[in-house]
Amino acid sequence: MNGWLNSWRAAVRIARRDAWRFKGRSILVLAMIALPILGVSAADITIRSSQLTAEQSLTRDLGAADAVLSDAAYDGLPIYQSPDGRNKSLVNDNASGQMIPGGNGPGVNIPAVIPAGAKTLKDSVGTGKVHTKYGLLDVDIRELKASDPMAAGIMELDRGHFPDAPDEVMATNAFLKTSGLHVGSSVSARDLATKYKIVGAYDLPGELKTAQINALPDAFLAPLAKALKAAGRDGPGITSKYFVAVDGGFTWNMVKEVNAKSVVAHSRAVSLDPPADSEVPLFVKYPDWNQNYGGSTAEKAALLAVGATIVGLAMLEICLLAGPAFAVGARRSRRQLGLVGANGGDRRHIRAIVLSGGLVIGVVAAVVGTVLGLALTFALREPLEEYTGARFGGISVHPLELLGIGLLAILTGLLAAIVPAVVASRQSVLAALTGRRGVRHANRVLPVLGLAAVCLGVGIAVFGSMKTDNVLAVGGGSAIAELGIVALTPTLVGLFGRLGGWLPLSPRLALRDAVRNRGRTAPAVAAVLAAVAGTVAVATYTASSDLESRNGYEARAPYGVASISIEREQGRDLDAVRAAVEKRFPVSSRADVSRVVVGKKTCSMYSSSPGCGRAEMVLPPANACPTDGPDTDKKFSVAERRKLSKDWRCERTYHSSAISTDSEVLIGDAGLLHALGIKDPGAEQALAAGHTVLFDKHYVEKNRLTFRIIEDSSKPIAEGQEATGPLKSFPTYVAQDGTESYGVRAIMTPATAKAAGLQTLPFGSYFVNENAPSSKEQQALEDDLSKLGADPNLYVEEGYVSDNNVILLALTVFAGLVTIGAAGIATGLAQADAEPDLKTLAAIGADPRVRRTLSGFQCGVVAVMGVILGSAAGVLPAIGLRKAEERQQLKFYQEAMDRGWGGMGGVPHVPIVIPWSTLAALIVAVPLGAALLAALVTRSRTSLSRREAS
Amino acid sequence: MSAQEHQPVLQLQELTRVHGSGTTEVHALRGIDLSVFPGELVAVMGPSGSGKSTLLTIAGGLDLPTSGRVLVEGTDLTTANRKQMAALRRRSIGYVFQDYNLIPALTAVENVALPRELDGTSARKARREALASLQEMDLDHLADRFPDEMSGGQQQRVAIARALVGDRRLVLADEPTGALDSETGESVLALLRARCDAGAAGVLVTHEPRFAAWADRVVFLRDGSVVDTTLRSNAESLLTGGVAQ
Repeated sequence: MNGWLNSWRAAVRIARRDAWRFKGRSILVLAMIALPILGVSAADITIRSSQLTAEQSLTRDLGAADAVLSDAAYDGLPIYQSPDGRNKSLVNDNASGQMIPGGNGPGVNIPAVIPAGAKTLKDSVGTGKVHTKYGLLDVDIRELKASDPMAAGIMELDRGHFPDAPDEVMATNAFLKTSGLHVGSSVSARDLATKYKIVGAYDLPGELKTAQINALPDAFLAPLAKALKAAGRDGPGITSKYFVAVDGGFTWNMVKEVNAKSVVAHSRAVSLDPPADSEVPLFVKYPDWNQNYGGSTAEKAALLAVGATIVGLAMLEICLLAGPAFAVGARRSRRQLGLVGANGGDRRHIRAIVLSGGLVIGVVAAVVGTVLGLALTFALREPLEEYTGARFGGISVHPLELLGIGLLAILTGLLAAIVPAVVASRQSVLAALTGRRGVRHANRVLPVLGLAAVCLGVGIAVFGSMKTDNVLAVGGGSAIAELGIVALTPTLVGLFGRLGGWLPLSPRLALRDAVRNRGRTAPAVAAVLAAVAGTVAVATYTASSDLESRNGYEARAPYGVASISIEREQGRDLDAVRAAVEKRFPVSSRADVSRVVVGKKTCSMYSSSPGCGRAEMVLPPANACPTDGPDTDKKFSVAERRKLSKDWRCERTYHSSAISTDSEVLIGDAGLLHALGIKDPGAEQALAAGHTVLFDKHYVEKNRLTFRIIEDSSKPIAEGQEATGPLKSFPTYVAQDGTESYGVRAIMTPATAKAAGLQTLPFGSYFVNENAPSSKEQQALEDDLSKLGADPNLYVEEGYVSDNNVILLALTVFAGLVTIGAAGIATGLAQADAEPDLKTLAAIGADPRVRRTLSGFQCGVVAVMGVILGSAAGVLPAIGLRKAEERQQLKFYQEAMDRGWGGMGGVPHVPIVIPWSTLAALIVAVPLGAALLAALVTRSRTSLSRREAS
Repeated sequence: MSAQEHQPVLQLQELTRVHGSGTTEVHALRGIDLSVFPGELVAVMGPSGSGKSTLLTIAGGLDLPTSGRVLVEGTDLTTANRKQMAALRRRSIGYVFQDYNLIPALTAVENVALPRELDGTSARKARREALASLQEMDLDHLADRFPDEMSGGQQQRVAIARALVGDRRLVLADEPTGALDSETGESVLALLRARCDAGAAGVLVTHEPRFAAWADRVVFLRDGSVVDTTLRSNAESLLTGGVAQ
């Protein structure tokens, strides 16, 4: 054991000094291993630092208080809560869960439930629009006396001071940044005359991105609510909670007492020492609620497997890239290894020396990677906190995790050096000393294993895509097959050798040399293969699904048409918004749209509040799809249901529109038809005649469209019944079949609506543009709109826009870099080997340029072999995945047909697209670039060398 | 003289080595018999392709003969496995080549200590032994220099020290002066001679008669056979080159 250690010590010493002597190569390998380690360790430290201890997170939530009490919003009914206060449920909730009060009733008087003798601090928050340097901004307006000792830790004062007077506020840095305001400037809310002076800047340690203003209690929200009410606007929506300090802490019994009065408590004492589940009524009632919602064990295992696969593949890629670098090292120091052999070193010692190279680089990479990761996290702490939106609890280093990450680096280094070590140790001492170059034969076992893996993987993948719809089987099978191809690389490289005969001298020499020395060519080709295969697989899959999305894209308006709609405050800001659009966009015409309102004018769409209703298009029973009703399975056989799914009554498709309302009809005139690109004189005449234009023939019966006017949506739902109400019927023109209405189902003129007694509110506009608004114009408009504070829905129809181009480009660049790197390393290795050949060539009168061209071709040959094999290996799994997806979709389609569901839009088509531009870049441009680069960096002059021992 | 000193350190018996087969068959060595005793330095001379280096590589266990036996301190190399051969190179046989003799990544003392360390001796003990060996040859001032900080002659002398470190008693030198000027070459040969006088057995391959003159015996090879053997008493005549012809 001791002897073994001593001989390893000598090996490590030689490797260490060698690494130092050949700094360029060492740094290259070091960077390859250390960079991922840097990333992983920085991520580990960042994640660990952002995880807070229980005390730290309680300080952020509670400050120095013992608990915070808030209204459960269950209309004063008793509740059960979890110890942390995150989950709550009514004590007597309906078993079916249908009936939960919406919190619309009067709030609970929290101070009345606070235990006697407790100190309290009120914390209210609402929202409002404030004037900023650029316009109006929606912000949280909070009223918490931040200077109170009980609030310590909730807000971090960055500069200035806490507000002392009612006309002073402080603001979060996030607010100051977006508003363009600063400490010392004044801020005012819309409709409120009072100006508040910003006296301080603060951060909410857990929510750095929140724009918030904090004033003294009752200084801001109450006057704002009053002013908004006077202006006829919605109120700030104030909610209040109370911080409480009690001697002895806020116990679980106290929590249960306030729960009985519909108040939720988040208590420090209970959070730090939670009661047993049996003492938590919520968990007794719903035992499942105490589970961590982290997914099932199987999901976790699958996630772990995916993670392990990614780490494994990354390590394989690094090994394949770094391996040849170690092989270059071993080849260059062949005589040195021969000398060790001559001095009594056996194979084990030679292996130890080359492996030590991996060990040394691995250890240095581990140290450099983790130290830089730590330094990076320290240096970038503030930007990282800004990015994650929360302050770290402190830099938290978990030595065992970092050690594990470091060990991964060492393992990678050792793994990368294994093959070169074995190859070097098998070399005869005599050959090493005399510099004789034997052709190194490739391993015979590896191709057999590779072939077996390819067969197995392809079998699984084909089975997965042809017989099942299991995407996981296709992915797993493809991964196994890919590893098999990597193992088969030496054999495949051999096949390329047959092409050599008809090539000119330099490429022929390069190809023959690459094929004869598969030991060094194969890892580089395999590295290129693996990277290219992954890239091509993702690119093929992405391009295919991109086409599918393009085919399935439903435009919401004709190309280039824009729309805006505003629901808030009955569309008061609509005119300003329309003016802004017309200012920024090349608008040629505008079509205004109103919506039908049933009940109070202040009701929002889809509201089920008391006094709010809606208008509903009534489907004539004769036009209803027979399979829509209950007990379809019993009423019809599968064959009947399949037939029915093709029936016109069942073929109904839903398509979203740019402007949609709850009553399914847009109030507008013929201009709306024009905006939607509908050229139907019949429709125009119908509108002129006061008829309704309908785009969905299912709703017409005897040329009339009927609406049910539901006066109060809250009542029928509360009683669990179908909505009822008086019917209003209109003469209707049904648009010709095949008319594209972009999701609009019916149009009615304002006059017709008024005549029928329907109440309408201005809602939005369609804008026909001379040309599609440019990105610059859209940004300018969005900027203008944000200053208006009206918060409209803006939609610009730009057709299908793929966001995958950047991904494809990034992948191509990645694969290109790996290819150039791997081919470059292999070329270095080939150059080290080819030195005698080059001298011979020079001696027989070859032009010095031959050296350059040979090196270029050597690099190109590796790159070409890698990208061709990789492209083939990458396209196939992507096709398999698509085929499996097609089967999946066909299965859904078949099921839908069997149930008699219409509107599936025909047999699903899953297109397969070969990304030719990516392939062209990889197969042509990258090898060419690699070859030129290698030729460029190779010296054309031969260096004089000493005569070797004979 | 002890009994051990009468036993040859190296014995080559009926040694033949054939490279290739059929039409490409080359007889590098044909039935060589040679014994080298402790304290003896044997020079092997001959024209290019006569089999000098093949003889040396087989004697050192770097190559195997086609037939015949090679005994180093009584151990038959032809029946030893790869591990035993490596162990013999660590413990019994030392090599000196024409150039690139030292491992560039190691200092002089580390180079000398290498066979001992490979053998499992602790780094400290191996270093102590190596320093002692360097001291004996007045090379201790070079101990911490790297090969590229030494002259060719210094490197060769350190290589001789390494070849004989520990209990090794057989040094095989393949043209050790080939890359050196004549003065430095003489000093290297003087050191080798001194080590043999101190009890080691040496085989020196050279084609320079004046270096062969340092030997106790000169063996002439031609086409793989020993064509002549000259004792030291006649070796001086080598300087004239007459005998070699």
